[in-house]
Amino acid sequence: MPKSRYRFNPESLSFDKIKLGVRSVVLRGLAYLVGSLLVAIVYYLVFASFFDSPKEKALIREINQLTLQYDIIHREMDNLDKVIVQLEEKDDNLYRTIFEAEPIPKTQRESGVGGINRYESLEGYNNSNIVIETAKKLDNLKKKIVVQSKSYDDLYNLAANKEEMLQSIPAIMPISDKDLTRVASGFGLRIHPYYKIVKFHAGMDFTAPMGTDIYATGNGTVKDVISSQRGLGNHVIIDHGFGINSIYAHLDKPNVRKGQKVQRGDVIGFVGNTGMSLAPHLHYEIKLNGKNVDPVNYYFNDLTAAEYEKLIEIASKTGQSFD
Amino acid sequence: MGKRKYILDLNDLQFKQIRHPLRKKFLHSIIWFSGSVALTVLYAGFIQNYFGSPKEHLLNQQIENIKLKYALAEKELDLSMKNIKSLEKSDEMRYRPVLMMESIPGIIRNPGFGGVERFADLNGYMYSYLMKSTLGRIEEMKNMLNVQNESFATIKDKSEEWKFEKNHMPVISPVDPSFPLGDRYGFREKHPVLGYGRMHYGQDFEVPYGTKVYATGDGKVIEAGNSGSGFGNLVVIDHGYGLVTIYAHLSKINVPKDLNVKRGDMIGLSGSSGTLSTGPHLHYQINKSGTPVNAINFFNNDITKQEFDEMIQAFGSDSIFR
Repeated sequence: MPKSRYRFNPESLSFDKIKLGVRSVVLRGLAYLVGSLLVAIVYYLVFASFFDSPKEKALIREINQLTLQYDIIHREMDNLDKVIVQLEEKDDNLYRTIFEAEPIPKTQRESGVGGINRYESLEGYNNSNIVIETAKKLDNLKKKIVVQSKSYDDLYNLAANKEEMLQSIPAIMPISDKDLTRVASGFGLRIHPYYKIVKFHAGMDFTAPMGTDIYATGNGTVKDVISSQRGLGNHVIIDHGFGINSIYAHLDKPNVRKGQKVQRGDVIGFVGNTGMSLAPHLHYEIKLNGKNVDPVNYYFNDLTAAEYEKLIEIASKTGQSFD
Repeated sequence: MGKRKYILDLNDLQFKQIRHPLRKKFLHSIIWFSGSVALTVLYAGFIQNYFGSPKEHLLNQQIENIKLKYALAEKELDLSMKNIKSLEKSDEMRYRPVLMMESIPGIIRNPGFGGVERFADLNGYMYSYLMKSTLGRIEEMKNMLNVQNESFATIKDKSEEWKFEKNHMPVISPVDPSFPLGDRYGFREKHPVLGYGRMHYGQDFEVPYGTKVYATGDGKVIEAGNSGSGFGNLVVIDHGYGLVTIYAHLSKINVPKDLNVKRGDMIGLSGSSGTLSTGPHLHYQINKSGTPVNAINFFNNDITKQEFDEMIQAFGSDSIFR
């Protein structure tokens, strides 16, 4: 039994037993709870400012490591960019040495502009998702554009299938050149590789390793296969009808016989270095009614508009030809 | 004071004021303190479990920001990678075919790095993978750039050799191409002087007395003077690569022995010297590894007189010997 407690009542001059009602017990309990909470908050704040919870410690460790590694990454990326710029300069110099022409301007390169932090303004709290979403949307749009242009290709093909003429007219590149890195010289006035004077260059030059496949650019008949150590070297002439001939020169060896019928895409020979030639390459000419015309106008089958534009830009450079 | 509390002492039936000795007070406060601490821990544990601490929220936010930075770094790396690929393309598609160099196998260009095992010190973090993959990509690109750098150095050396070789090839006509060609390389039924059939090892040019004769490629004069034979005054140039050119029946020789000449240098004037010449002409011969070959295969006469003059002027060496 708990000992009863008493309080002295000065009015009645007697000791009254202290009685605790339910209400006051609850009130006291609440007061104690609130008090303890307040005290707890004070403790917590004091504690937290001096010590971290294990979870926080892990997070801080994570942040420190991520930041440290990011700094390293940032520095390394700066170095990478520097090396890339140096190598691009070397690339340009090699281009000048070997092709004796000004390289494709820097803006043509598939490079990003600006430094590493060009998205810094977007590094807000809620922006990251927007950035990522926008990038995704852009990608989707790009895909759609490709699909769209493909469907135009299909339409074109439908039309092409109807016309024998469209099958005969040279309409592809004579050599596989997806990246347009093989075009070495275009049609027109070019520096002659040996004479070092400006001479008329009657075709387009594509550099390629010895033995690379050369394709017939349209349906036709092999008009002539000529073996020579001079001039165009070993070369093949295809008659496409409609007054159009195509010539493939400096072949290592031809793959067709005179009089043979060929279809667009047939391998008619292999890249070589025969005749007057600076290096292994294909010299490709198109003659319309006996007159040389610019082959750049005869690639409409396998190039997109952008590629075509790029090709024209490359082909129009007034460097040296390869023969 | 009404606050005083009393207790009834049953032994002597007197009310006694409750007094807590210091020790007891101290004990009380300790109990109270530990109770509150226990409660605090309880509260904190509860809140952290369900809501996380405010500090944690801040830290997580920080991590999200860093992750965004990593994502942006990845984007930059994508661009750098594109640039590296474009350099590789330039290397493989442009220079190597021209210089007839083998391409570099992909396994050397990009051997792949036993992945993430390289960054063992980054193990045990929540975002180990993120850090390792970004760093791994950088390592990979550094390697690619090293290979590319070496490759460009090789190509540079090779391109200089190539240019040197190209400059030494006898690829132009030794005289103004508007003059007609004379006797060709091949068997002659009747030699104009000797009268009997004999092999003709050179290409003749029907040029008047005193026509300028030019070196057809860079090289070193290994003979200059009267041969004391049918060739009369002759110049022999060694172009290296097993190629030697001979210019015979000259009336005047413009270069001394051992001189290094360039393509287009005027080496002498044509004439009719030597016992085996019946009239002014140039005998031009190319020997390959000591054996005469048909010189006509070495040059194209697809050039006008005006262009030829322009070319000689472009070489810029004519005047030195005039």
